[in-house]
Amino acid sequence: MGKPLRVVHYVNQFFGGIGGEEEANAELRVVEGAEGSARALVQAMGDDGSLAATIICGDNYFSDQNERAVAALTDALRSIQPDVVVAGPAFDAGRYGLACAQVCKVASELGIAAVAGMDAENPAVEMYARDVMIVPSGAAPAQMLSVLEAMWALARKLGLGEARGPAEVDGYIPTGERRPWVREEPGSKRAVDMLLAALGGREFQTEVPYRAPERVSPAPPLADLGRATIALITSGGLIPKGNPDGAAAAGGPRYYRRSIEDLDSLEPVHWEAFHVGYFTEIVSGNPNYVLPLAQMRELETRGEIGKVFDSMFTLAGVGTAVARAKELGQGIADELKDGGVDGVLLVAT
Amino acid sequence: MDFEEQSTVQEIAAGAPGEGLVVVLGSPDAESAALVAETLSAGDPTFAGPLAGVPLGLRSYHIFEPEIEAQIDGDVYREQVGFMSDVLDRDAIVVAVKGVRERPQ
Repeated sequence: MGKPLRVVHYVNQFFGGIGGEEEANAELRVVEGAEGSARALVQAMGDDGSLAATIICGDNYFSDQNERAVAALTDALRSIQPDVVVAGPAFDAGRYGLACAQVCKVASELGIAAVAGMDAENPAVEMYARDVMIVPSGAAPAQMLSVLEAMWALARKLGLGEARGPAEVDGYIPTGERRPWVREEPGSKRAVDMLLAALGGREFQTEVPYRAPERVSPAPPLADLGRATIALITSGGLIPKGNPDGAAAAGGPRYYRRSIEDLDSLEPVHWEAFHVGYFTEIVSGNPNYVLPLAQMRELETRGEIGKVFDSMFTLAGVGTAVARAKELGQGIADELKDGGVDGVLLVAT
Repeated sequence: MDFEEQSTVQEIAAGAPGEGLVVVLGSPDAESAALVAETLSAGDPTFAGPLAGVPLGLRSYHIFEPEIEAQIDGDVYREQVGFMSDVLDRDAIVVAVKGVRERPQ
């Protein structure tokens, strides 16, 4: 048997034994040896791994002070030089899941093998499954030891420099990467076996999982449009002339909120469109095409709507990943709610 | 269970050796009830708290269980607990806690 692998375990404030939500702002700290749930990892590793350190960080700190947390993490990993990093499992905790995934990403960028664990429905999975090895943990913390055993099986393999096998063999959430692989039986037999199972009402494992689009329930209609505050949003890449903020023309990382409080219309001398998905000259000639402020002001004057919200929101939506779009949408929704907005006119292109 | 609660029970258990100590839970769902029962019996299964690897061997019951209900005045039970058994999944909670208690040691 070779030397045990040198391991670092990343855990949050709760699983690091510091405390609950009240300690979520705890700064990132490095503790020599095993602390909290790292004690279970020690058990799972047996003689194959040696726990060099437990890195503990509050979920809020990792999120809100992300640059500092990542800098401290990077310094720690450079100093400790582990063979492998294990992060979590985060189960269904969203902030913790995001932290674990990012910890693994940082480790990978430093050339250190890394494995995270979390529930397959954790929001971090959609964002990070392509880049990070994530072992599905389910949502029950009582399964900690068995989950860490599963995580360690993969972590050990990667720490020894062995190539990973397919997701269904090595027990991680599929990354979307396809590699040639030889199955034991020919495809024709596997397909017929699956068909017979389906016809017989028996379970089978598909090789091509279907991902259904998410169904979003629409909000109920506005009861009284004449008293409603309506916000205007466009994914048409409307920008101030000259693009002073360097907004992206596609799939950008943020949205922009701009005041339209004193405007009755959008004038081409002040606005233009920057978007790779449609012929933007139309908007550059008349920006109201993509954000109909002039028309909404008419409705406001006639009393057909209560008022136009004092700010509009804009971004170039084309090429934005669904997960990112959901985040941006949530951010805009939070601002709309704070502003007492009742309804939204969203102009897509 | 938070870490302070784990420490508190550990202190109480240290002062009450033998079979004299029993735990009665009011947890609102099967998963949390089983987790507490497991923690106080075999040790904190998440390994996060002070009872990690510390099997106190305590037996837990849930307030919904008939053996516990039988020991409480009917009016008091109905007033303090009764309505919750309409709201919570009583059967699942009882099965979960009993499952931990009756598991072979």
